Amino acid sequence: MGRYILRRLISVLPTLIGVTLIIFLFQRLIPGDPAVAMLGEHATQENVERIREQFGLNRPAFLDREALANGDLAGFFDSQYIRYIERLLHFDLGNSIHRRIPVLETLGERFPATMELALLSMFIALLIGLPVGIASAARRNSTLDGVTMVGSLIGVSMPIFWLGIMEIMLFSVFLKWLPSGGRLSTGMVITPITNLLLVDSLLTGNISGFIDALKNIAMPALALATIPTAIIARMTRSSMLDVLQEDYIRTAKAKGLVERVVLFRHALKNAFLPVITIIGIQVGTLLAGAVLTETIFSWPGIGKWVYDSILGRDYPIVQGVTLLIAIIFLLVNLIVDISYATIDPRISYD
Amino acid sequence: MSESNPIDTEFVDFAIREHRSLWLDAWRRLLASKTAMLGLFVVGLFVLTAGLSHYFWKYDPKSDLDYSSKLLAPNLVVTEDSPIIHIFGTDKLGRDNFRRVVHGGWNSLRVGLVAVSISLIIGGLLGLLAGFFESIDMNFWEKVTLMGLLGLGLGSLSAWVAAQPFQVLLFLGLGILSVVFQKWEAGNKLRLFVFSILGMLLGGVPGFLVGPMVGLVCGVLGLIGGLILSRPLGGKVFSDVTMRIMDVILSFPSYLLAIAIVAFLGPGLEKGMIAIGVVGIPIYARLARSAVLSVSQKEYVLAAQAVGESHGRVLFKHIVPNILSPIIVQSTMGLANAILSAAALGFLGLGAIPPEPEWGAMLGDSYKYLSSGAWWAVLFPGLAIMLSVLGFNLLGDGLRDALDPKMRI
Repeated sequence: MGRYILRRLISVLPTLIGVTLIIFLFQRLIPGDPAVAMLGEHATQENVERIREQFGLNRPAFLDREALANGDLAGFFDSQYIRYIERLLHFDLGNSIHRRIPVLETLGERFPATMELALLSMFIALLIGLPVGIASAARRNSTLDGVTMVGSLIGVSMPIFWLGIMEIMLFSVFLKWLPSGGRLSTGMVITPITNLLLVDSLLTGNISGFIDALKNIAMPALALATIPTAIIARMTRSSMLDVLQEDYIRTAKAKGLVERVVLFRHALKNAFLPVITIIGIQVGTLLAGAVLTETIFSWPGIGKWVYDSILGRDYPIVQGVTLLIAIIFLLVNLIVDISYATIDPRISYD
Repeated sequence: MSESNPIDTEFVDFAIREHRSLWLDAWRRLLASKTAMLGLFVVGLFVLTAGLSHYFWKYDPKSDLDYSSKLLAPNLVVTEDSPIIHIFGTDKLGRDNFRRVVHGGWNSLRVGLVAVSISLIIGGLLGLLAGFFESIDMNFWEKVTLMGLLGLGLGSLSAWVAAQPFQVLLFLGLGILSVVFQKWEAGNKLRLFVFSILGMLLGGVPGFLVGPMVGLVCGVLGLIGGLILSRPLGGKVFSDVTMRIMDVILSFPSYLLAIAIVAFLGPGLEKGMIAIGVVGIPIYARLARSAVLSVSQKEYVLAAQAVGESHGRVLFKHIVPNILSPIIVQSTMGLANAILSAAALGFLGLGAIPPEPEWGAMLGDSYKYLSSGAWWAVLFPGLAIMLSVLGFNLLGDGLRDALDPKMRI
């Protein structure tokens, strides 16, 4: 097991290098002079030089063959990409072009908001998706099953940004029940501990703060949860249907076990593996979906930040956040892979 | 059947039985499915309205502007306040929403089609080749091509460093040499030694003519190249490398990657198509590879090989027709996804450039006016996105059931 984990960790390395390569290559997609593109037409010469220096834009992209021809081996490797990797290894994601502060610093401030939103959405998705999937598999071709199948198909077809807008229209503009954006209403204070507002307000016993935070997060979390809920319900259903056809299920039923025991003890345990894979993949959907959801609900997380940075052409931020999300996604899928072995004793990896 | 007397079967006249191809069968199952028909209807409706309006209902977004009628609510009858009927209302510039939604469909379908074509052609082909050569031994000329290309790639690195293009040809030759002498049983170590020395010389000697350091680096590159080229590599290597690259693309949540690519390329419908298409490549590559692997050891493929059919014929006449169904299903669902991603790009201001009508961009334009109660400006474009995506998903679901009754997801 230990050896397997180590091997999987090592196998992630080439992928990780590929990911940094793609993210590095992003900035070469910028049409024209990147430094001018980042700063806009009216940039001062001094600022353009500063950006060129920060990105090493006056160096070649990968390797410097001219330096090598002059006998300079160190200069050969002194390139934009190598410098980029060097900075990454020092946990330096570069500085924001406009605000000139480290990307990592703001990332640390903004990430908890996204994490809170993503965690709550995943919680909602599991809370609805799993039971609905199990129930519709147990009652195949019933009304509930039909509703689940149609509902989940509508769910995966839902443009979540539109759903978000519709939520705002209904609950904020017409009914005026919920605030249309932000994490907390103005004037509300929650002492930060974990920076997850729902958790912090509970820890400090701040009930009115908790309710306010809940009101603010409800709509974005519901919008973001739509697609994962639909996919988890579908996957749970189909995986359960597969397992329910197995002989040991028939045996379990034949020996007179209660349906609940058959479903949960015998079937669900074995049906869970594909569901876990899907849950892992949905983490990616949640993080990517955050860009849309957070933009609509002015949620101060990394998604809204990416959107603002795209508009402001603050490329280091876009690169930094994309890298972070890709790494989280890689790690989650790695954990999913490894968890197989612990959940299913039939799978051995040595 | 298994218990029946072999003589009985002789009396069954197979000629009388109606001939039904797989596709006809699938088509009948599709017609029988209510949800698939609903999907087909919705898709057909969108394709028709988008196509007809594009060709017969001219619309010039650049001149469409009327401040006197901005943000009018939908009206179905002519009144004094609104002398013109706007069944979907008007937007912030007084443009008729119905007209823009209908014309926007053309753009959305176009993006979907082009994006899926890009992913399908590139991904499908890569997956086909990867799966095929992973399960079937390459013949001489295929090995020559593979090793030649590999030599070309390795040589171009050294050639670039030394600024000597002819080095590419040297390594190309080394790759082919490795295949030509594949029967040369000189023992692993000797072979490795000979090829790495050859590679070192091919890279290093011309390199020294430029400068000592260049010679050193090219020598090392040549040495590594020689080591890699020393044995003729099989299709497994090709497959592994291809799938590894696909894994890298897959390690980004898909439309985040599309958003990032377009963020750097700059907005535009065409750029959006390319980004969404590129991001979709790994899905088709993986699907095609695993489908090829699942049929490549079937009897009919082995039989075709045994009678000496060429690899191209085996691949395209025997394998491809048998793996089409999952690919058709995935393409239909892929269209749904591409439309959704394109709308997301448009919403973020990265898709169609205004005033070009596009559903996502229309939403992005109008949702800021929500507080003034202009619900129609966001309801209809969004509904169009959802319904068209739902249509393709329903159709894809139905196709899956029709083409492969055993599959169920």
